[in-house]
Amino acid sequence: MATPGGQGGGALSTRGGARRMKWALELTLGNARGRGDRQSNQGDVMYPIGYSDKPVPDTSIQESDKNLVEKRCWDVALGPLKQIPMNLFIMYMSGNTISIFPIMMVCMMAWRPIQALMSMSATFKLLENSNQQWLQGLVYSVGNLLGSALAIYKCQSMGLLPTHSSDWLAFIEPPVRMEIMGGGMVL
Amino acid sequence: MSKPTSLFVIFFSLFVMSEAVFEDQVGKFDWRQQYVGKTLFAHFDSHSQSSKKLFLATDKNIFASFNSRTGELFWRHVDKAGPEGTIDILLLHGQGDNSGRLLRSWDTNMGGLNWEAVLDTGSFQAACFVAMQDTVKHVAVLKKAAISLHYLTNGHQKWVENLPDSDTVQYQAVYSGGEEEVYVLGVVPNSHLTIIAYSLEDGEIIKQACAINLFSADSGRRLLDTTVIFPLDLNGGKPFKLYVHAFLKKDDSVGYRVLVQTQDHALTFIQQPGRVVWTREEALADVVTMEMVDLPLTGTQAELEGEFGKKADGLFPMVLKRLSSQVILLQAWLAHLWKLFYEARKPHGQVKNEVTIETLSRDEFNLQKMMVMVTASGKLFGIDSKSGSILWKHYLENVQPNAVFKLIVQRTTAHFPHPPQCTLLIKDKDTGLASLHVFNPIFGRKSHIAPPALPRPILQSLLLPVIDQDYAKVLLLVDDQYKVTAFPSTKNVLQQLQEMASSIFFYLIRSDQGNLSGFRLRKDLSTERIWEVVLPTEVQKIVAVNGKRPNEHVHSQGRVMGDRSVLYKYLNPNLLAVVTESTDAHPERAFVGVFLVDGVTGRIIHEAVQRKARGPVHFVHSENWVVYEYWNTKSRRNEFSVLELFEGTELYNSTVFSSLDRPHLPQVLQQTYIFPSPITTMEATLTEKGITSRHLLVGLPSGAILSLPKMFLDPRRPEVVTEHSREENLIPYAPEMPIRTEWFINYNQTVARVKGIYTAPSGLESTCLVVAYGLDIYQTRVYPSKQFDVLKDDYDYVLISSVLFALFFATMISKRLAQVKLLNRAWR
Repeated sequence: MATPGGQGGGALSTRGGARRMKWALELTLGNARGRGDRQSNQGDVMYPIGYSDKPVPDTSIQESDKNLVEKRCWDVALGPLKQIPMNLFIMYMSGNTISIFPIMMVCMMAWRPIQALMSMSATFKLLENSNQQWLQGLVYSVGNLLGSALAIYKCQSMGLLPTHSSDWLAFIEPPVRMEIMGGGMVL
Repeated sequence: MSKPTSLFVIFFSLFVMSEAVFEDQVGKFDWRQQYVGKTLFAHFDSHSQSSKKLFLATDKNIFASFNSRTGELFWRHVDKAGPEGTIDILLLHGQGDNSGRLLRSWDTNMGGLNWEAVLDTGSFQAACFVAMQDTVKHVAVLKKAAISLHYLTNGHQKWVENLPDSDTVQYQAVYSGGEEEVYVLGVVPNSHLTIIAYSLEDGEIIKQACAINLFSADSGRRLLDTTVIFPLDLNGGKPFKLYVHAFLKKDDSVGYRVLVQTQDHALTFIQQPGRVVWTREEALADVVTMEMVDLPLTGTQAELEGEFGKKADGLFPMVLKRLSSQVILLQAWLAHLWKLFYEARKPHGQVKNEVTIETLSRDEFNLQKMMVMVTASGKLFGIDSKSGSILWKHYLENVQPNAVFKLIVQRTTAHFPHPPQCTLLIKDKDTGLASLHVFNPIFGRKSHIAPPALPRPILQSLLLPVIDQDYAKVLLLVDDQYKVTAFPSTKNVLQQLQEMASSIFFYLIRSDQGNLSGFRLRKDLSTERIWEVVLPTEVQKIVAVNGKRPNEHVHSQGRVMGDRSVLYKYLNPNLLAVVTESTDAHPERAFVGVFLVDGVTGRIIHEAVQRKARGPVHFVHSENWVVYEYWNTKSRRNEFSVLELFEGTELYNSTVFSSLDRPHLPQVLQQTYIFPSPITTMEATLTEKGITSRHLLVGLPSGAILSLPKMFLDPRRPEVVTEHSREENLIPYAPEMPIRTEWFINYNQTVARVKGIYTAPSGLESTCLVVAYGLDIYQTRVYPSKQFDVLKDDYDYVLISSVLFALFFATMISKRLAQVKLLNRAWR
C-alpha cells in the first residue's frame, strides 16, 4: 500500500504543485531533484530503501583455524570426564535399595561407557584432524573407564557384587565322609 | 502408640495366615485306621437275636464296641495306659465293666458312661451279677479280703463284708444263683474248698461249708451241628481263644456266632454256616518299627531310567534313543487315553478301583509307597500308603513276646532286574540268639537268598554303603565275641571289605554298665576296641542314643548372617547324641545329661547337663542340631532345648570330613523354651535334597500331631533385635513356645497314644510323607514350605488356556485388519 505521503507527493507532482512534504519519498524519476539519499543510474528503476548495490566485505569465520580444531577435539576427549560429576549426583539421589529406578540408572550408567569404548574407532575418526589425537584418545578411554568404575562401585554399594563368602555358599559341595560308622545300644 | 493405631494393629494381627483344609479334601491325601489291641474279654450283645453289637476289652486298656456284621468300630474308650487302667473283667448285662479300683457302667448304645464307683483298694479277684427273681439288680465284687455288693443303677455300695480267714484261703469265685444268696468260693491250696454264702440284704453270712465236691453244673447237652469248618488263614497263626455266642433262632434251632482270636491278635468273626464275615488285624495296634519302600517302576519308566543310566555312547545314538523313548511314551499315553475313554462309557458300577499288588507301580511324583510294618506279635504287614489297604501279611512263627526287631532295607526298587530286598533281624532277649528273615517288601514273599546262620548272640548290626554286584548293601552283624558276619558274603564283598576295613567303625553301648565303646574292623573280620567312655551307673543311666539318619542330605553348608558372612555348620556324620538321666529321682537333685560323642574317636564333643530336670526325654538329632524335651521339676513345666553346633566363619576342610583329623571343637549355641503340653514322641521331617525347611512333628497326648517349624527352635534368636537379625529373619526370643492349632496336621482325626512317627522323603522336594503309629495308624503328607513346586489343586487350566487362545486369535485378526486398513489408506 502506498504511503499517503507518497501518494500525496505523486498527486502533487501531477498538479505541478510546489508544495512538498518533508517526509515524502519520491519514487518516480525527477531530474530536477537530485537530492535525497537516492542515487539512481541511468536506468529508470528506483532502488528500495537501504539497498546498495556495492558488494559488502566478507566477515565470515575461518573454517580451518587450527586452535579451534584442537579445542573441539579436546571437548570430545574430555566429554566422559565431564559426565562423571553428574553421574555421581544421580547415583546419590537414587539410593542403595534395589528397585526399578536405581537399577535403570545403574544400567544406563554402566552401558554408556561400554558402548563408547566399543565404538572407539568412530571416535578416532572424529579426532583425526588434531595432532594430539593419541593423547586425546587415551584421555577419552580413561574417562570411560572411570565411568564404568563408577557404575561398578554403585553395584558394590547396592550389594550386587559377589564379594562376600555368603555369595559362594551355594557352590560348596558337602564334604566326603572318610569313615563309615554304625552300631547302637546293645540289642 | 495412640489408641486407634493400637486397635488397628490388633485388628490386622488377627489376619493371621491360616492353613485350613477344605471339607472335601478330608481323606484325600491322608487316612487313619483305628485299632484296639489284643483282646482279653469279649461279649456278644445278647439282648436280641439280631443284635449287632460286640463288646471287647483289650490288654491296652481299651473298651470298644464293634458292629458284628462288618467289623467296624462303633465307639471305643481309651483309658490310661499302664497298670492303673487295666481292665480286669467285662460283664455284660447291658452294662458293666470293672477295672480294679473303679467300677464303671457303660451304656451299650452310645458308649457313654452311666456311673462310676470307687472301690476300696485290694487286689481284685472276681465279680458277677447278682439276680433276684430274674432281674439283675446288683453287682458283687470279690476282692482278696472283702466282698462288696453294689447297686446296678447307680453304683452305690449296698454292703461290704470282710471274708473270714482271708490270709489262708484264696477266694476265687463269686456266684449267684438267682435266689437271695451270694456264694463265695474259696480254695485252700492242697487242702479243701470253702463256700460261704452271704445274704443279699445285709451281707450276713448265712452258711459256711467245706466241701470237696464242687457244685455241679448243668448237664451240657451236645448240640447238633456244632462242628463247623471255617477257612482259617494259614498265615495267621493258630487260634488262641474263642468267644461263642449261642442264641435261639426263630425256628427254635440253635444258632451261634463265633469270634476267633488267633495268635497274631487278629479277630475273625464267623457266622454259622462257616462263612467268615469280617477280619480285623489287631496286631497293627502294636507296631514296633516300619520302613517305606518305593514302588517298582513300570516297563516304560525303567526304559527311560536306563537311557540316563548307561554310559554315553555318542551323540547320534543318544538322539536316536531319546526319539525312540518318546515314541514309546506317546504310545503308552494314547493307550491310557483310550482306556479312560472306554471306561467312561461303561456304567460306573462295573469299574472297580481295587489296588492289587500286581498293578502297583510308582506314580509320577513317587508319593505312593509301600509301608512295611513290623508288629510286636511277629506279624509283618505291607500296607499301601495311599489308601491304607493291607496288601500282604506274613506271620513269623516262634517269635517270643519280648523279642527285639530291627528292619533294614538292603536293596530298593531302583535296580530294575533285581528284586528289592528287606531284612528283619529278630533277637530274643532271653537267649540272645538272633535270626534273619529276608523278604521282598513289595510282595511279602520270603526271598530265595539264604541268610547266614547265627550261632552266637548278636549285639548290633550295621548297614554299609558298600554294595555287591547285585546292588544289595552289605549288612554287618557283630556277635558277642566281637566278630563280624557279613550278610551277602560273596567273594566280591569280602574283597571290598578287606580293602575298606580300616575305615569301618562300630560303637556299642551297654546301658546297664554305663559303658560306650568303639571298635574298628580288621581285615579278618574281627574287631578291636579303640576307645571306651564310662559313665558311672551310680550317678546316671544311659537312656537313649541317636545318630543321624543315613539318607539325610543337608543342602547348605552354613548359615548366612546379617553382615553377609557365613557361619559354617559343624556337620559331623559320625556324631552321636547320648541322653542320660540321673539315678536320683528327687526333684532337687535330678538331672538330664546330653553328651555329643564322636563315634569314631570317642571324643566327647560337647556335654550339657540340665539340672532339676527329669525324663522321659524325647530328642531328635539331625543335621547340626539336637532338640530335646524334658520335664523341669523346679518350675514344673515341660521345656524344649535346642543345641546347634557351628564350625565358625571358616571351614577347616571343605572337601573331606575325617573324624581323625579335626583338632578344633565346634562352637555350641543353646537355647531353651517353655512348652505348654507334655509330648509323647518327636521326629523331624525329611526331604530328598534338604532344601525345604525342617519341621518337628510332635505327638501330643491329646491325639493331635503338631508340626512345629524349626525356626522357632533356633539358638540364635536374639533378645535384643538388631538390624542384622532382622536381615536373617530371626524371630525375637520369647520363652514361651506357642502351640497354634493351625499347625496340627491331623485336623480332627485324633491318633490315640502315638508311639512313633516315621517320615520319608517323596519324589517332590516340597512334600514329606508322614506315618504316625501307636494305637491307630495315620498317614498324611506334610508341606513344610508350602507346595512351592506343584501347581495348586484347583488350577484353572480351562480359563487360562481359553484366554490364551482367544488373545492369540484376536492378535492375528487385528493384525490382518490393520494391514488391510493401511493398504486402503495408501490407495485413497
